[in-house]
Amino acid sequence: MAAINIDHYLLLSAVLFCIGVAGVLFRRNAIVIFMCIELMLNSVNLLLTSFSNQHNDPSGQIFVFFIMAVAAAEVAVGLAILVMIYRNAKSVDIDFFNKLKE
Amino acid sequence: MDLIISLIPLLPLAGFILIGVLNKKLPKGMVGIISNTTVLSSFIISFYLFLSFIKGADSYSTELFPWINAGGLHLGLSFMVDHLTAVMLLVITGVGFLIHVYSIGYMQHDEDYPRFMSYLNLFVFFMLLLVMGSNYVVMFAGWEGVGLCSYLLIGFWFKNTDYNNAGRKAFVMNRIGDFGFLLGMFLIYQTFSSLDYKEVFEAAKNYPKGDPTITAITLLLFVGAVGKSAQIPLYTWLPDAMAGPTPVSALIHAATMVTAGVYMVIRSNVLYMLSPFSGEVVAFIGMITALMAATIGLKQNDIKKVLAYSTVSQLGFMFVALGVGAYTTGLFHVVTHAFFKALLFLCAGSVIHAMGGEQDIRRMGGLKKYLPVTHITFLMGVLAISGIPLFSGFFSKDEILAATWVHSPLMFVVMAFTSLLTAVYMFRLYWLTFHGDFRGTHHQQEHLHESPSVMTAPLMVLAILSVIGGFMGMPHWMSEKLGVHHVFNEFVAPVIYSPKEFILSHTFDFSLLIGTIVALAAVYYFTRKMYVADKVVPEEDSETKSFQKVLANKYYVDEIYDAVIRKPLDAISEMFYKIFDINIIDGIVNGIPKVTNLTASAARMLQTGRLGIYLVVMVIGVIYLFAFKLLL
Amino acid sequence: MNTIVILSVTGIAAMMSDVFKLKKALFGLSLLGLLIALVFSVYDWGQYATYFNQMVLTDNYAVVFTTMLIGITFLWFLMSKDFFSSHSSASEHYALILFSLTGGVMMTNFSDLTILFLGLEILSIALYILAGSDKGNLFSNEASLKYFMIGSFATGFLLFGIALIYGATSSFNLQEISAYVQQHNGSLPMYFYAGILMILTGLTFKVSAVPFHFWAPDVYDGSPTLVTTYMLSVVKMAAFAALYRLFIYCFAPVYEFWIPVFAIMSAVTMLLGNITAVYQKSLKRMLAYSSIAHAGYMLMALASPGGTSRSALMFYLLAYAISTLGVFNVLYQVHKVTGREEIKSVKGLFRKNPFAAIMLTLCMLSMAGIPPVAGFFGKYYMFVSTLNGGLTWLVLIAVLSSLIGVYFYFKVIIAAFQEPELENTAYYRQPSDLTVLYICGILSLLLGILPQFVAGLL
Repeated sequence: MAAINIDHYLLLSAVLFCIGVAGVLFRRNAIVIFMCIELMLNSVNLLLTSFSNQHNDPSGQIFVFFIMAVAAAEVAVGLAILVMIYRNAKSVDIDFFNKLKE
Repeated sequence: MDLIISLIPLLPLAGFILIGVLNKKLPKGMVGIISNTTVLSSFIISFYLFLSFIKGADSYSTELFPWINAGGLHLGLSFMVDHLTAVMLLVITGVGFLIHVYSIGYMQHDEDYPRFMSYLNLFVFFMLLLVMGSNYVVMFAGWEGVGLCSYLLIGFWFKNTDYNNAGRKAFVMNRIGDFGFLLGMFLIYQTFSSLDYKEVFEAAKNYPKGDPTITAITLLLFVGAVGKSAQIPLYTWLPDAMAGPTPVSALIHAATMVTAGVYMVIRSNVLYMLSPFSGEVVAFIGMITALMAATIGLKQNDIKKVLAYSTVSQLGFMFVALGVGAYTTGLFHVVTHAFFKALLFLCAGSVIHAMGGEQDIRRMGGLKKYLPVTHITFLMGVLAISGIPLFSGFFSKDEILAATWVHSPLMFVVMAFTSLLTAVYMFRLYWLTFHGDFRGTHHQQEHLHESPSVMTAPLMVLAILSVIGGFMGMPHWMSEKLGVHHVFNEFVAPVIYSPKEFILSHTFDFSLLIGTIVALAAVYYFTRKMYVADKVVPEEDSETKSFQKVLANKYYVDEIYDAVIRKPLDAISEMFYKIFDINIIDGIVNGIPKVTNLTASAARMLQTGRLGIYLVVMVIGVIYLFAFKLLL
Repeated sequence: MNTIVILSVTGIAAMMSDVFKLKKALFGLSLLGLLIALVFSVYDWGQYATYFNQMVLTDNYAVVFTTMLIGITFLWFLMSKDFFSSHSSASEHYALILFSLTGGVMMTNFSDLTILFLGLEILSIALYILAGSDKGNLFSNEASLKYFMIGSFATGFLLFGIALIYGATSSFNLQEISAYVQQHNGSLPMYFYAGILMILTGLTFKVSAVPFHFWAPDVYDGSPTLVTTYMLSVVKMAAFAALYRLFIYCFAPVYEFWIPVFAIMSAVTMLLGNITAVYQKSLKRMLAYSSIAHAGYMLMALASPGGTSRSALMFYLLAYAISTLGVFNVLYQVHKVTGREEIKSVKGLFRKNPFAAIMLTLCMLSMAGIPPVAGFFGKYYMFVSTLNGGLTWLVLIAVLSSLIGVYFYFKVIIAAFQEPELENTAYYRQPSDLTVLYICGILSLLLGILPQFVAGLL
């Protein structure tokens, strides 16, 4: 069995990232889309950690903490927005919102 | 001196701000006084400068402050007054002042009188900026400014309607022109690393004749002139612009703004001298425009439209002069044209005023006895524009014809024919308006009245100028006899780089004179016979052949005249108007919005408001980005 | 650094003011904080200092942009005085704006990708909330949702790009990355270039460049007018400052790779923005599209980096932000009184208040790029710098598209000078409501008259 090197991690992160992107594109429920975006961010975390390990440099892992903190803040705000929207529109289907156009 | 020069444009600006800010808080009388005195003061200062030039001053320049100082480029917000500018200043402030006076009477009863006067002042400011700038950027600032004022004033009476088609047409055409001008400016900067007139022209003198870069620059600049000065193919906005109040037509669309293109070419004469090809293009476009606009003018029935087409045609004359290298002659025609065309428009305004807003000459006739002053002054204008010897138009047009003869006899023939057409449509207009029987409604007839003296006084001043204005540029044979020089040419000469001489043999000059007199007499006779004696009135738009009856009673001569001259002319006129004016030009102008419309609707089709689609398009964008950079 | 600290403290103080019953002092407090921050920012001029382990670099570029950001926010506060003083959650609004400004300042001072990311997120998260701050309004809700969704989606791309760059160069520091790239140019892994493209995607989203612009018209249109004003002026400025800083400081050695991308993006953006703006009836939406077009012109600075492109970008952004504030001041007041935002609702402004109409005209002329106002010189510097960069075709397109732009800007001017649709329409409650318009109009004129004082700074 060939050793698992950085290219494999790179490939795995890329695949995870693409799954996240595909999820954002094909799902209509805003909460599921959130989760897919989180998946994209997590693929970045994985990538950073593996690069950090490869370079023997801790800054990559520290960056991961920043991403996690910011992602948490983002999710908090995002869910608040969704709650507000659900109150007014009784829906979280993103296709429901197309009043602003042209 | 610096201060005095800066005051010329700043006074009208101050007038605009004062009237604009106080607006209706000012009594109407004060509005008139402020707007008029500012322009009058500018005129007085200009005249003072003019006198100093006569005494031998060279040129004044003053820099208000340095504008751009970057990368070796120094540009100032600076003014330069030389002989060319001095002439333009006198025309703008002088004719402008008279039109301001006239506007007091004409617009007095409009509820937006202060707004109107403030726009006029603003226009004068920008026009002065245009001619006084010492570099192309200042000229461009004025160039855009007069355009803005023009749109504001065209749309002055369009209440509660969206900016209409006429405005849009004017807009698109001027944008095409500006495109050329801006590109020309950038090319100048790239070539000479400067935009200052003096530096550019000094540097240009080292270039060989026919240099392709210079040709490109001059052609691009000329595109700008074509837009602003309403030449083929960008001329149809001018007749449409007649929707504005008549003093506006007189000031902006006849005397000053539309000659900005001519001014720009004269200002850049060093460059045009270096590019014979551009000269040919300028002359050719001018010739075609002059001819075509004149033929269209033959068939128009709106008093202002006739004058508008006539303006287009006369501008064509000016460009012909510039194209063949007779720059002083072109400028001379700008001056005389400002006199008589402003006069004609103001008279038309007086007529419209008396007729209660009617502009159709088929509803007029016999106004001679109701509007005596307007009639006489209008006649002076007609005689001047037709080129009757010793009237101002004769001198300038004669010079243009002489210059074209030296350049190319064929061009001479076309231009001579065109100037004959000028006489035909002007006399047609004159007879139909002032002679014969009144054809309007009874109600209109009761209200016919001469305009107040605040309107007729400017008419008289302009009429006098139209009559005597030509004597500052007498032809060679005349000046030799009288021992007076061609004052105008001598005055402007310092501005022109290696001026050409267009001196003809005296025999030719005399035969031209005789020819003119004979032809004009014939025009006078035939048009008078047709429109006064036979009382031919142009057919209504709906009728087709109603004047067949009239034909039946005519003499043999008339029939020949009809078959050989009038009918073909009518046909050509109709053809140009219908095909060119309406189909081609409007097609192009409406086509540009169509193309943008199409693009816009494609873009808006994607802007559906649906988040899902936005995300998909974003990702497609990313994929394209990667494909473009990584796979290629 | 002091600037960032002061702004954060001011933001926190604003948030706490409710607790300490200092609501009345809120407005003055915020302005005071901004002024102190401004002074400290200017004080940093010429210092060239690094803070936080070389993660923040205060050079002249940073100082100029920081000062501009704070100054514009100051004007924004003046403009929105009446709204927030009457609003129950004023302290939160002020605090969010101040936080978002802090993020913006970080984005102009960063010398490490971490700070860039943090700044961008601090700026954006505050804005997601502000976009939806009109809670009962479905349009505002929708704007907030769209902004948030697309914003966090783009953040994913940015982060993936940062991770790839880190993987290729083993550093987040701009200088170190730049040195590494310089040294290994030609032998860099493929995923380094992919990283550049990912970062480019994430950041050009923020500046609303085509094809990542779709959110912009909807979000700008749907958000409360004051928030839109802030987004168009301050956020756009911060995003461009960051984009330019990143690519010039960091990726300059491989400029041949990314220049064509920016050039094409710039051309498409300006054309699409201008053409679509022509057909808008709503003034707010028209300005939203026109802001896309302006982003296209600003991208020209990245298409021809080096030379004078830096001062051109700075001047363009300043001219644009000032005129935007002026125009939005009018729009905001008109909307407040009449509840309408169409172009024709400014009709009759000249009749009611000629001075305001003239100032509005100056702002519009500045947007259209007509001398002698600031916008002309923004375009002029930009075009000259692009010409020197050899991209003549781009300048051609820029001139053409700016002429399209003149059309719809003039529509507004002409409407302002037309008769009012209804008699006795008011366009503002009291004349002092338009103070910011006057300041902006006069600034536009001053910048147009004396451009080199500002353009000479960088």
